[in-house]
Order: sequence, then C-alpha cells, then structure tokens
Amino acid sequence: MPAKEEILGRLKSATKRQNIDRPAKPTLSEITLNRQQMIRRLESELSMRAGVLYQARDKEDALRILLDIITAEGLKSFVASSEKIHGVDIASFGSQKGLSVTIPKDLANRDSLRDAAFAADAGITSADFAVAETGTIGIIFNHNHPRLLSIAPPLHIAIMSVKDLYPVYENVMEIVFKNTKEIPSQFSFITGPSATSDIQGTEFKGMHGPKKVFVIMIMDG
Amino acid sequence: MHSHINKFMETARKELKNEQSQMFLMMVALGAPILRQIGMSSFPDITAAESYSRAIRADAIARLPELLEEFEKNAESKGAKVLWAKDAAEANKIILDIANCGGVSYVMKGKSMITEEIGLNDHLIKNGVEVFETDLGEVITQNLNLHPFHLVGPAINVPPGEISEVFLKKGIIKKASTDPVELGSGARRYLRDKFRNLQMGIVGVNMAVAETGTIINVENEGNIRLIKSSPKTLVAIMSLEKVVPTIKDAIYMTRMLTRNCTGQKITSYMTMDTGPKKPEEQDGPEELFIIILDNGRSEIYRDFKTREILKCIRCGACLNTCPVYTKIGGYPYGATYCGPVGQVLTPMLAGIESTADLYRACTLCGMCKQICPAGIDHPSLLLSYRARQIDIKNQKGKKTMQSRRENAMAGLISLGMSHGWLWNFGLKITRPLMNSLAKDGYIASIPMGAQGWFGCRDLRAIPAKTFHETWNDLPSLPESSGNTSKKEDS
Repeated sequence: MPAKEEILGRLKSATKRQNIDRPAKPTLSEITLNRQQMIRRLESELSMRAGVLYQARDKEDALRILLDIITAEGLKSFVASSEKIHGVDIASFGSQKGLSVTIPKDLANRDSLRDAAFAADAGITSADFAVAETGTIGIIFNHNHPRLLSIAPPLHIAIMSVKDLYPVYENVMEIVFKNTKEIPSQFSFITGPSATSDIQGTEFKGMHGPKKVFVIMIMDG
Repeated sequence: MHSHINKFMETARKELKNEQSQMFLMMVALGAPILRQIGMSSFPDITAAESYSRAIRADAIARLPELLEEFEKNAESKGAKVLWAKDAAEANKIILDIANCGGVSYVMKGKSMITEEIGLNDHLIKNGVEVFETDLGEVITQNLNLHPFHLVGPAINVPPGEISEVFLKKGIIKKASTDPVELGSGARRYLRDKFRNLQMGIVGVNMAVAETGTIINVENEGNIRLIKSSPKTLVAIMSLEKVVPTIKDAIYMTRMLTRNCTGQKITSYMTMDTGPKKPEEQDGPEELFIIILDNGRSEIYRDFKTREILKCIRCGACLNTCPVYTKIGGYPYGATYCGPVGQVLTPMLAGIESTADLYRACTLCGMCKQICPAGIDHPSLLLSYRARQIDIKNQKGKKTMQSRRENAMAGLISLGMSHGWLWNFGLKITRPLMNSLAKDGYIASIPMGAQGWFGCRDLRAIPAKTFHETWNDLPSLPESSGNTSKKEDS
C-alpha cells in the first residue's frame, strides 16, 4: 500500500477523541500600546538583541543616518533590494559617494545574485513591518526582494516606515496571510543579528548571518 | 550514529564523574529555568498562556489526520511536492533519490532532530553524497561523532580544546584556538563558500500550518535561512505531528517554543515558507519537497495513552528541569532524544523491551509535566510503560519471572496491610533477620533482589523496637500540656 494511504488509514482508524474546546485566547499586554510606546518598546527590545534602531525624520535624514553607519563601519559595497527604498534613493546616493551598489534586478541570473550577496559588505533592504512586542522586523520576500540580501552579507540595514509598526505578530500575520491566493513564498521575522551560544554557552553574533542589524525607521511616513 | 540505549547505567555512571559535563549540567539546571521564567513573565497571565498552548497542541493531535490532509492539499496548491514516508528507510531513499536526480555532490542541513532519528547522514554519505551540518552545535557533534548532549545545544558541553583539535584535523580552522568566538568564526568561513554554491538543502520543520500549507522554522544562526534561500532544491522533512491548525496558532506556539527553549521571547529568525519560489523570483528553491514521516508515530497515535507524546514541540524545557537529566546529561539516553522527552518517546520507537532503563530512570517528581508547554503527562506515561513491561509475556506466553515476583510481592504486602496482627508478626520476624545482615550498623545488601536500591545506598540497621513499642514503654506523661505550662508559669 502506498505510504500515504497506509499512514492516514492507521491514523483514521484510531479511536477519535471528541474535539478540544479551547480556552479563550489570552490577551497580550502589548496590544494596548500607543505609537510612542510602540516605538520605545521596539527600540528597547531591539537593543537588547544587539540591533540598533534609528528614527529618521524624513528621507534626507535617513540618508544622513545611512552615511553615518557606512562611515563608522567602513562599508564599500552593497546589495540593495531596489534603487529606492521607501523613497530613499540608495542608487544615486551610492554613485554620489563612490560606493558600489548592486541592484538584483540588474543581475542576469541566480548565480550572479548569489555572488553579489555573498561578496557585499552589507545588504540594504526594505522592511515591510516592525513588531514592537519583541523588536522584530518582518520582510516579505518576492520578485522585488530576494531572500539572500538580508542574510548573506555580514551587515544588514533595513529601512522601514513608522506606518508599518504594529504591537504584536498577529497584526502582521493578518496582513501577510490575509489572502490565501497571495501568500508570499517566504516571509521572515528578523530580530537582531544572527547569533549562537553553541560552544560553552558563549554567545556571539554573526554565526552565519549578519553580525550587525540596523533599522532605520522613517517617521514622516 | 548508532544508538546505545542498553548502556544507560554505564554511561550515566561515567557522566556523573565527568567534571566538564557536571559543570554544564549545573549551569543548565540553575540558569535555564530562570531564563525561561524571565521570558514567560512577559505574559500577563502565564497560566492562561500555558493552558492556551496546551489546547492548541491537544486540538492539533485530536484532529491530526484531517489536518495533515488539509496541509498537504494547501502546500501542493502552492507548488510544494508533499511526499509520505512510512519509516526511516523510505525517507532516506526519497532524499537520496532527490539528491541523485539533481546530481549534487553535497548537501547542507539545518538543525533537525528527525534526520538524526532516521540516520540520514550515514545513508547519504554511504551513497556518495557529502553532508555538511551547518548549526554550529551539529557541526561539532557531526565531526566528533557524538550524540546530542542537549536537545537545543547538542555540543554545549564539549571543551573548546577538543573542538579545536577536530576542527584543525578537518581543515575547518587553520590555527588552534580555544576561543569559542574564533572557533565559531572558523566554521562560518569554512561553510560560506558551500552555502554560496549549494545545490540542495535539507531542513527540519518546527511547525506545518494546515490552513495555509506553510512550513515554519525558528533559528538563531541564520543557517536555515541560507539553506532556504541559496539552493535550487529544498527538502523539508517533518514527523507527522508537527502540524498546527492555523497560522495564528503557529505564532502563539512559537512564543511558547522559544521561551521554553532558550528563554528568548523570539529567535533571531522565524521563517515561513509557503510553496517554492515563484517563477519571477530570483532566489529560493525552484523545487520544494516536504516529506511527512511516520516512523512509528501512527502506531503511537492508535493508543489513547501514548497519543499525547505526539503533542511534543521539542523545546527541551523538560530536560532543564529534570533532576535526572541535570545529573547525567544527554549521553546515557543513548538515542536522538534525551531527557524526559526521550524517556517517553524512545521506548515507543525502539520498543518497551529494550528500553527499561529509560522509563525507570525517573523519580516521578512531575516537574516535566508541570513545565510542559504542550501538556504532556510524562510521569503517567512512564508508569504505563513500567506496567506494560511487567505484563510482557515470554515466548511460551507465560508471565516473566520479574512479573511473577512483583505479583507475589504485591500480594504479600496487600495481605499484610489488610491484617494488622499479620503485619506486626511479619515485622517481628523480619527485623532480626535483616539486622543479621548488618555490619557496623548498616545493611549493604540483602539476598533476593533490591540490588537497585542498595546499588548506591545503605540501609541503617533496624532498631530493636518499633516506634509503637518504644512509645508504650515511655513513662506516662502528665495529663495535658496546658497543665504543664501553668506549672512552669507559677
């Protein structure tokens, strides 16, 4: 008998237990946070995980912050999810400052994308959401936003709008998984940099993914 | 990696004397429950949160066959290929076929207990496909050929010197080092090119969502995200109990999973994949295979009692709080799963007959049950295994010697306890007999059994008189204590 029929047959032939009555879903304290409180919570949770939140007044301020990060970290080459991210013109900023900026759309194929992502000093991407609950950002991966940009380079800079800040994960899930026909092939919650404590419980950042994560939140969105 | 469940006692004795293991177990026992408590304290009502997550798991298991069918339908409608495997051999064959079909020379794996359970690495390597573990802990256990010491930190106890030695030998690092950061960075550099050129990746699954056909992985290192992004072919293998009804259930369970696992409110990454990449997308797998593995679980499901084992979400909280695990560590359990989860699961996978040490190595203190976010009653399962073992008939269909002896003992005690005079009489004749075995005031063993009990402790010689006899011999006390205190006052 094929495996599926045999396994399901055995499961179905087992005595049924009546369906479980669930208790009411406990409320989460975060859902009452107002915007200011959400921002504070996002910042404190993210910094506890060694991530950094910058609040940019507008697009120009975001570029200033970006320049600060680039100077402080000595970054030269980037992969960016698109020329403009939340209105911030990464491509022309790059050419102005003499930095190498690679946009995946310009790449011929998967292999050149992999080369670019693994070779870049940093990935600059949009973040589609942020969740105050745990200092988390959410990214929908699709044809405009390849997966490797935020995981292969040693540094990740995410640009987002304050409009996309929500108290808890459920708020975001409702949006991302709303239409069953349009569920993204991949959606990720990212909280701070890659980390491990697998040797002697000693924690360090940047095991396989980025060592540092910067989130630039544009406040005039 | 071969199991050695039959060496439980021997390995446990060795581990009790292993200073390195003892140091880490002390750290685990002291630290992990505190971290968990801090994580849980972010819930306004911890009890309500636990009740809710337990209800999610109970619901998922109650509706398991329907949810699996729903998951399959939805995952396939998104373009994933869902394959079912009855046992380890079938699953290994499916994965090897996929590797051969793609003509890959190596695969990379995310941390997954299920591939350890089925011995996937051995099977692939034997058939000419190289396997690279990518979770730092598993890179270490793979190269040192060790069983996991802990569900979550499989190599947390291994001294850096040993890691350095094997990393040097395998060319993972160029220069010896005992710095954990150096060793980790070495592994990062070593694996990076392999991630870059990867053709096929293999991951486990933390949760499979029935309503959307989504598979979810939680991790801190980023290796799983790389494996889900870089190669053209992705295999996700899950045991059939990983399914949850809805995406919101999955999010709620993740809150409980990470808090119970490492005390974190969330891991660095929580990745939700629904189908393979879409044609216009530039990375992600072109083919996504999801293997649903049974390997004995549908049998476990048929029994009402054992069915609840399948609620387990592999958080490892029961290990950190177990008075036995936190003394002996993961090695004595001799298989993929250690601690209380191993004690309830392994006997069902490997058989009651050969795993008695596992379900007997328990004090029935109930901490695992109390802490379990999935709502498993480990102690009662272990008791039921003990009862089953006693009921096992030998080849001729007769009760075993142990069974008959335990029956006789229980009958004798029951008889004595229901007749007071018989009890007292029994004590009168037993006491001098027992005391005749005493040396220097202690009894170190008795003939006819109880070696287990005497194996690690002595019994003080029994006093000549019982408490009742001593009491009756005391000079009579004044009428009441009230009178006594009045006398003292005056």
